[in-house]
Amino acid sequence: MSFYASTLIVYFFVDVLLAWALNLQFGWGGIPNFALIMFQAAGAYAAAVVSLGPDTGVNSFQRYVFGASLPFPLPLVIAALTGGLLAAVAGSFSLRRMRRDYQAAILLIVSLIAIQVVSNAVGLLNGSNGLTGVPRPLSGLLSGLTYDGYQWVYAAWAGAIALAVYLLVARLGRSTWGRALRAVRDDEDAAATIGLNPLGLRMQAFVLGGVIAGLSGGLLVEFLAAWSPAAWGYAETFAVFTAIILGGVGNIWGVALGTLLVQVIFLQVPTFLPQVGYTGLIDALQWVLIGTLWLVCLAIRPRGLIPARRYHAVPPAPGPGTGNPR
Amino acid sequence: MLILQALGFGVVSAALIAIGAMGFTLQFGLTNVLNISYGGVMTVGAFAAFGAGELHLPMALEVAAAPLAAALLTWLLGRTLFAFYARRGAGVFEMVMVTLAVSLILQYGIDAASGEQIYRFSFPQGASLHAGVFTFTVTQLVLVALALAVFGGLEFLLRRTRLGKALRAMAVEPRLARTCGIPTGKIVNVVWLLSGALAGLAGLGYVINSLTIDASVGTGFLPLVLAAAILGRAGSTRGAVLAALLLGLVTEEVAAAGGAEYSTVAGFGILAIVLLTRPAALAGQATAKAEITV
Amino acid sequence: MTKSIHLTLAAVGVLAVAACASGSGGNGGGSSSGPVGVVQIAAYSGDQAFEAQFSASIDYPALYAVNHGGGVLGRQVSLIQVDTRSDPADALAAMGKTLATTGNVAAVLGPDSTSAATLVPLLNTRHLPMMIAAGEAAYDRSSYAYLWRDVPPDPANGEAIALWAKRQGYTSVATVFGTDTGSQGDLPGVLTGVKAVGVRLADQENLTPDQPSYRSSVERLLAAKPQAVITESDGPTAATFFGELRQLGSLLPIIGTSGTPSDSYFSPLRGAIGDAAFGTYFRAVVVGNPVSNPAVAAFNADVLAVQGKLSKPVSQWENNSFSESGYDAMITLALAMDAAHSTDGTAYNNDIMAVTAPAAGKEIVYTYAAGRAALAAGHKIQYIGASGPLLFDKYHNSFGSQAVEKFPANAPAVVVGTITQAQVQALNG
Repeated sequence: MSFYASTLIVYFFVDVLLAWALNLQFGWGGIPNFALIMFQAAGAYAAAVVSLGPDTGVNSFQRYVFGASLPFPLPLVIAALTGGLLAAVAGSFSLRRMRRDYQAAILLIVSLIAIQVVSNAVGLLNGSNGLTGVPRPLSGLLSGLTYDGYQWVYAAWAGAIALAVYLLVARLGRSTWGRALRAVRDDEDAAATIGLNPLGLRMQAFVLGGVIAGLSGGLLVEFLAAWSPAAWGYAETFAVFTAIILGGVGNIWGVALGTLLVQVIFLQVPTFLPQVGYTGLIDALQWVLIGTLWLVCLAIRPRGLIPARRYHAVPPAPGPGTGNPR
Repeated sequence: MLILQALGFGVVSAALIAIGAMGFTLQFGLTNVLNISYGGVMTVGAFAAFGAGELHLPMALEVAAAPLAAALLTWLLGRTLFAFYARRGAGVFEMVMVTLAVSLILQYGIDAASGEQIYRFSFPQGASLHAGVFTFTVTQLVLVALALAVFGGLEFLLRRTRLGKALRAMAVEPRLARTCGIPTGKIVNVVWLLSGALAGLAGLGYVINSLTIDASVGTGFLPLVLAAAILGRAGSTRGAVLAALLLGLVTEEVAAAGGAEYSTVAGFGILAIVLLTRPAALAGQATAKAEITV
Repeated sequence: MTKSIHLTLAAVGVLAVAACASGSGGNGGGSSSGPVGVVQIAAYSGDQAFEAQFSASIDYPALYAVNHGGGVLGRQVSLIQVDTRSDPADALAAMGKTLATTGNVAAVLGPDSTSAATLVPLLNTRHLPMMIAAGEAAYDRSSYAYLWRDVPPDPANGEAIALWAKRQGYTSVATVFGTDTGSQGDLPGVLTGVKAVGVRLADQENLTPDQPSYRSSVERLLAAKPQAVITESDGPTAATFFGELRQLGSLLPIIGTSGTPSDSYFSPLRGAIGDAAFGTYFRAVVVGNPVSNPAVAAFNADVLAVQGKLSKPVSQWENNSFSESGYDAMITLALAMDAAHSTDGTAYNNDIMAVTAPAAGKEIVYTYAAGRAALAAGHKIQYIGASGPLLFDKYHNSFGSQAVEKFPANAPAVVVGTITQAQVQALNG
């Protein structure tokens, strides 16, 4: 029981990070990032290949690039950076001003291309078999712990990272930068008129979201010890979208609540139901349920359970040298 | 030699993509709904034909089942679900989200209902014909002919008939068209039915060529169809056909040159290159304010 | 803000209560009455949902054999299916939930390749003996005490294929493999083996699955003029590829890996190239028992007894070496529990080797019922299964000979050659 609970808690923190990344990109930045899961995958793969040792060539049982056996916490840092780098590359051609439906379609296609490339270029990241045997961080140092004990340490570690990201994201939300970003989202022309740089702001949000998504990938792969293309199909991004739409687009807490409701409760509860039809039927129907939930949300509560808060400008405190009107 | 032969294979691939892309662009051009569930509709069409085959119905019925089922489904979705959200003020992006949700429901619903299996799709392929360095089966030639017939038919419809003129007018200025007395509701119906039928045909063509069917055929095929429609400019059937030809040829040439694993990636690469180097090519359609017409 | 915190806490509370309320939290055979639980870990949904039918062909016949043979320690064995959903994260959650809510888990069939890295350490810590179905070479020298494997690692099959090709006198071969999971596993072994036996590799084709056409690859293959093709892919891909090969009038000998014999592969391929051509050109090198023994007959009888639960046609499971290996694994686990008089992994883990290792004075048994009776009478036994004797080495790996089979239309498979474990290991030097 404790093992199940600690596993779900780790998953919750990983998913919340992903949700905050999407909230940054889509909730505040207005970028419909249907390639979100690709950034998590990039981070996961990066962390995996730098923590594994070098592969043994063409005939080894798994083939991949790098293989540097780096110790904790370097793989996580590299995971985050990789997510950001990929976001910069993807952003270079998908963040221009364009209709949001085109943008969504293009980003979706980018993630489909990524899956094809990774699955077919077997030497790169071991193709569709994925990578396995990724070492758990500090398992040597913490070898005195029981298996369950290590899980709880990991859950606490994931929680700490989530807290740090929360503080960062909350601060960004309150800041001038956050307001500027939302201004660009709401009316790009007006924002440009007052001197904001829409493309630059969007790129910053996109890259930062990519960094957080990459971090969540690194965190997850070090927990699971394995990663493969099956973990990042295009449908996975929808689960995150559902979470943030249900919980409240643009609101950090809403998005966290949505993640809890969708990723943890909604996707785990059906496993407790008695089996109906063939084994695997209920699991296959879960995506149908997610799609239906989406439609219902869009029809009834498009702003989510906890709507976006209004950020008010905080007037500068009276005192010398604060004459700056901004 | 192989490079030359690949041109032949490319034409067949292009025919399949073209049928799908023409349907998609017709729908998209008029309604402005970037309909991701088009892939799911293609799958439904293919399964309708498969079901007819399993029931041992005559081949004519089997072939007709695909476009009929797909047209009906598209029309239903358009009139009920899409219209519902459009009435509530959904913008182009919200509609994409709606179609994505529908796509999930269709794909995984079929997956669950079909027991998550891959089935064999038997269809007579006909004899192999050789023409110089090229080799085609009779069925492949029929598919190419079908694509050309569809193109010809659409061109005639759009340019020579009143319906077609009305359609083009609506695509450009829906409100004005309504004021001019064009029966916009009827035209939307026609477009749903017609584009749905083309989706069904595209799905059927795909499984006839690959000889297998499962719940993901449509969504797997959709990205190339989407790429062709975007490249060819929304609403332009000529553009869709040309783009389909380009994508079909590129994918086969890349495979012939030794990169079989990357053939589809190469196709998307074209799209990415166009986006990077000539954003203006899409700017006209990409930045315009668009409203939903359903 | 306050409202949302309350909502979140409430939601967490609900989850915690629900989770606690539904299970006793036991693990590993702690209970001593009621059914004995055996977990089958496989993908029942997602990309690798084809695993479900293989698992069924193992579980139901084996369960039938054990339960109709008197059960384990007088108790019936019940099957607990854990769905990996083709994804390690889902596998971990599903396994965790099962361990949390089911108190009588005594053994595990699996994990599979997708979930092995994630689940093996967990199950080993829980002292749950597992018969894994993962072919990764990483487990050749495993240090996990509770891990057992009775199927050869993926490379071994590839090396056997290379030996067969050499034996047939081919001097050049080509490989045609799908890039999907499950097809790629055997490729490294094939490549090493082909190199080691000195056969030339004329061409390597990697096919993206489920494309409508592979003409360019087919043409390239023919241009390289190999004498035989070594292949594994999913059924549709094979049907399209070899169908196009046939259209060009150029079929040649095809050697399939151990992953190929199954209806989902044979049926499309047969349809594409015709039954006659299939019988003439196609061979598969399969792991498993080429010689008929009473255990095989028992297995086939058990398959027929439960055919209502298996995918049609049932004939694909009779003599299916992969199913036989799994069947033997389950029976071995049950016999080990009987020998140790316990369903607790800590107690019976070592008996797994004890009931299968050959030694003088042991009674040889071929069925569960016979084994249980012999144990009850106080004898030591060696169980020889439908896949042959299980000879676990010190790393808990056992793999036997591999058979080369041909498949005439409407008739059972015919063995045309054998490659022994020793021959394969000699290749590795």
